[in-house]
Amino acid sequence: MSIKWDEIKQDVLAQIAGANTKEEIDKLKVDILGKKGLIAGFMSQMKTLSPEEKREFGQKANELKKEFEAVFASKMEEIAQKAMEEQMAKDAIDITLPGVKASKGTLHPLTIVQQEIEDIFESMGYTVWYGPEVELDLYNFERANIPQGHPARDMQDTFYIDVERLLRTHTTAIQMRTLEALHDKLPIKVVCPGKVYRRDDDDATHSHQFVQIEGLVVAENIHMSDLKGSLELLARHMFGPTREIRLRPSYFQFTEPSVEIDVTCHICGGKGCNVCKGTGWIEILGGGMVHPNVLEMAGIDSTKYTGFAFGVGVERVAMLKYGIDDIRNFYANDIQFLKPFTRFE
Amino acid sequence: MRLSYNVLKQYVDLHDITPKMLADKITACGLEVEGLEEMAYATNLVVGYVEECVDHPNSDHLHICQVNVGTDVRQIVCGAPNVAKGQKVIVALPGCKLRGGDIKEGVVRGEESKGMICSLSELGVDPKQLTEQQLAGIEVLGDDAVVGDTNVLGYLSLDDTILDVGLTPNRNDCLAMWAMAKEVGAILNREVTLPDYHVEVEESKTNLVIKSETEKCPTFLGKVINHVEIKESPKWIKDALKGAGIKAINNVVDISNLVMLETGQPLHFYDLAKIPAKEITVKQGLHEAYTALDGVEYNITEDDIMITTEGKAIGIAGIMGGDDSKIDEESKGIIIEAAIFDHVCIRNSARNFNLNTEAAQHFIKGIDPLACVKAVERSVQLLVEYASASGIEETVVCGSLKEASKEVSVTLSKVNSVLGTTFTMEEACDPLARLGFEPKVDGDVITCTIPSYRTDISIAEDLVEEVIRIQGFDHIVSTLPLMPTTQGNLAPNGRTTRMIKKMLNGFGYSEIISYSLVSKKHIDNSVMPLSGAVELANPASDERRYFRTSIMPSMLDTVAFNTARSNDNFGLFEVAVVYNEKGEPQDRLALALTPTTVRSKWQAITTNNDFYVMKGQIYALLEELGFDEKRVTIKANDVDTTTFHPSQSAALYLGKDLLGVFGKVHPAKAKEYDIDACMIGEFNLSVIFNAKASKVKFVPICKYPSSSYDLALLVDLDVKAGDIVNIVRKNAGKILKDVEVFDVYKGKGVPEGQQSIAVSMVFQSEERTLTDKDINPVVEKIVNALRNQLKAVLREA
Repeated sequence: MSIKWDEIKQDVLAQIAGANTKEEIDKLKVDILGKKGLIAGFMSQMKTLSPEEKREFGQKANELKKEFEAVFASKMEEIAQKAMEEQMAKDAIDITLPGVKASKGTLHPLTIVQQEIEDIFESMGYTVWYGPEVELDLYNFERANIPQGHPARDMQDTFYIDVERLLRTHTTAIQMRTLEALHDKLPIKVVCPGKVYRRDDDDATHSHQFVQIEGLVVAENIHMSDLKGSLELLARHMFGPTREIRLRPSYFQFTEPSVEIDVTCHICGGKGCNVCKGTGWIEILGGGMVHPNVLEMAGIDSTKYTGFAFGVGVERVAMLKYGIDDIRNFYANDIQFLKPFTRFE
Repeated sequence: MRLSYNVLKQYVDLHDITPKMLADKITACGLEVEGLEEMAYATNLVVGYVEECVDHPNSDHLHICQVNVGTDVRQIVCGAPNVAKGQKVIVALPGCKLRGGDIKEGVVRGEESKGMICSLSELGVDPKQLTEQQLAGIEVLGDDAVVGDTNVLGYLSLDDTILDVGLTPNRNDCLAMWAMAKEVGAILNREVTLPDYHVEVEESKTNLVIKSETEKCPTFLGKVINHVEIKESPKWIKDALKGAGIKAINNVVDISNLVMLETGQPLHFYDLAKIPAKEITVKQGLHEAYTALDGVEYNITEDDIMITTEGKAIGIAGIMGGDDSKIDEESKGIIIEAAIFDHVCIRNSARNFNLNTEAAQHFIKGIDPLACVKAVERSVQLLVEYASASGIEETVVCGSLKEASKEVSVTLSKVNSVLGTTFTMEEACDPLARLGFEPKVDGDVITCTIPSYRTDISIAEDLVEEVIRIQGFDHIVSTLPLMPTTQGNLAPNGRTTRMIKKMLNGFGYSEIISYSLVSKKHIDNSVMPLSGAVELANPASDERRYFRTSIMPSMLDTVAFNTARSNDNFGLFEVAVVYNEKGEPQDRLALALTPTTVRSKWQAITTNNDFYVMKGQIYALLEELGFDEKRVTIKANDVDTTTFHPSQSAALYLGKDLLGVFGKVHPAKAKEYDIDACMIGEFNLSVIFNAKASKVKFVPICKYPSSSYDLALLVDLDVKAGDIVNIVRKNAGKILKDVEVFDVYKGKGVPEGQQSIAVSMVFQSEERTLTDKDINPVVEKIVNALRNQLKAVLREA
């Protein structure tokens, strides 16, 4: 019996290649590989052959079957792949439509600035201390070297509650509590943030409530140059790595010598602009060497220990950093105002 | 203070230093110049003579003047009512620059005008310095003015610049012009020449009696001068007063003001004739109405220091004299008062009377204890010279004259150690010498003799400051503290507070900060109010009289503010400390969430922010902080049913402590504030800060499968889902892993007055796979318990 294997094979392969759908392939598969199909037909012819021929014929038929099976499988995969691609093309979406809004609120800009400053000092080994807003005259004034009747009390108009109590006018009050609590656990390295109150009328640059942060270091051999170096770090972190600072003489009752600290203008870089009023410098901080009376009142030996202290207005830093022109914005809490403060920088 | 550049120039050589340079230099040394003010500003001025003045034919108020300006006679149209023929006037020639604009030749109603005749206010002189007459018309110059003179500002003594110096409270000595001159001399390292005020006059015996019955007046110098001649002051005195913003009155009064400016010592001159008893007593404790120089009646109370004669008040000490003893044109003799009054008393009186006079300012800020002696001497000298004073009696001194010069020492090593500098002994001593401290060196020690006016210098650190102030702070380099390494830390609760804020940000809430001071209404509307509120003794207004006891009223204000501005779709939170009447703090958190959050408009995805949304957020927040559901109890809100919707709000407890209240805003409250039906909440964070968070524990993953079992129950409407869950938990034993409500239904198919609640339970054992044999008896027990306790009936599947 002579069968033209090659012709059959080519014919079937051409049929498979010509099929385009899963249905056509399924039908073809039955025709070729099914119980009554082409291959099965060959097998039924085998019984008339001699054993010799049988082996050769069987071998050929089996080879053919295996090859066809493989071709069918790959063709099926090809069709499935094509179908999937067609489906995906159909499922195309408009990627320019807006996404579903995820919930996201903002921190208040004063919190952002406060946390940034807390973090800088925490990284330098400072501990953050809070204290009461309803404060004793003792810590707000007496311990800060501002005794009853002292003209310096005129500098800050105070909200009094009674003879002993008031709303703290500066975070110096927290420092005084810190000094008392830690006077026998030196060295002291703290930053003290908090709300403070002054009897001011609210306008674009004044607020009866605002936020201050003060810092205090007390140890042996602390110099004013350490104050300068520490605040230089702060200024560079808040306003950019190329900022310079300068000290100017000033007066605070609880420090001696006292200084105002100016930072080169972050807008013009020191050339002079309307933000720095043409001077190239912006006044940001106050500070000085802790007054020996303050140390002594807290029970610290001022002949052995020295310290520096500084204070900064959080609103002022935020206004300069973000270009905010009216301090009342911070307390009006208009959502349009709060919206842009999405992150730390 | 107002520092006149021209006056200063008389004492210190400033020929090569402009006012701007001076301002920069003294600012760098701690005398901060806050502004430079030119007394007048005008170019191209000339003195003119009005040769003719006729009315303008086309105007009812203009005049046409022919003015001789030296080089020519020119026609000028002038609108001033007081212009007249024969006057010497200030003429601004074309090209003149004034603050109000430039002067050009022009035609006014058909008449040519080649310049302008000026008033002083047109030259930019502060209107407060001018009389009504000067404000109403042109300035008419004196006969001594020279026609054609172009230095008009010089002739008027208006060619001065005033430096507005903001003195720090420790440097009020510089309120005295002479002390300021010394300070400037030290800064510029230049010699200072002050007037020699010692005068040789024969002084007769006196019968003037001065008494002080109060310790608040430790020193009082009095002096009788029997004859003075009242007249106009010389120009230089008037100019000096003008620079300080004080109006000239007559020579005697002007001298008292001038000497105060020079020495810092306020003086008062009484009309001798009006104090016939020649007795002056300082006392406190008066209680009467008193009319002062300004004609105003003041209610004197016992704390005010008063000057009296024969028991009758003649002045409020240190603030203002009396009308009936003042110097006037008729005065023939005077009594000089130079006294020291307690600055606290003066401050209180000045504040109570709202009388912030120049004299009061000097006393409040503190004066040189020896200035009174200087001031009396200087007054005598000036009165002799400019008021023909004679019949001068000896000075009566009541109280003590402290020898105020003192010694203060510092070591060079202290200077360098405090500052972190490397000054030599010479460099440290130079500033001290320039300041007149006469430093004497002994080894490492520098000893200074401090002038009486420098009351601010008393300890070594003060000298350290003087050294660096004059040497310049740029001598200080930047270093960092050399000390043992310390561990940084946030404040106690600081980290927890930050976690809360970040979590709330994640839920979509934005942080606000509102004012702590609130009105009575806010206190009355507090949520979980503390016992009583702190009330200010001196509030600025009733709106800000109390320290808040709850954040919620401010939160509702903020919601209303944003709603009114058409801001919608927001969540807000605030963390703040509130205080009770005793000043005891409590940390609080307040929340507000608008009824919907639009997440995608085009897909119409909107979250309805109901009670359960906020509840879920709060439970998630608590879990994050270490307090899982099992530690939290929710109860019907019996805490606040005026702020909150009574049946859509709840009180939350952590253990036994009330943590807070949250839920829908009360409809009446929403109406009152004109806001939507928001979800709101206020929480006591102190409860969280004080509670111990649960430890994070590892739970091994179970090897055996779980099986779930659902129960649908018919219960009465007042049965709560939470009751069912609790009963399931209590009766299920160890194999219950989870129980959750998955359906709540009332309506069709459920009998009236009842609801269907379905729960899904998950059972699992760590030892083996559970079978029906394990689960069924447990379910049966649960069903029985639900039936017994809640009359729950299993619903047919």
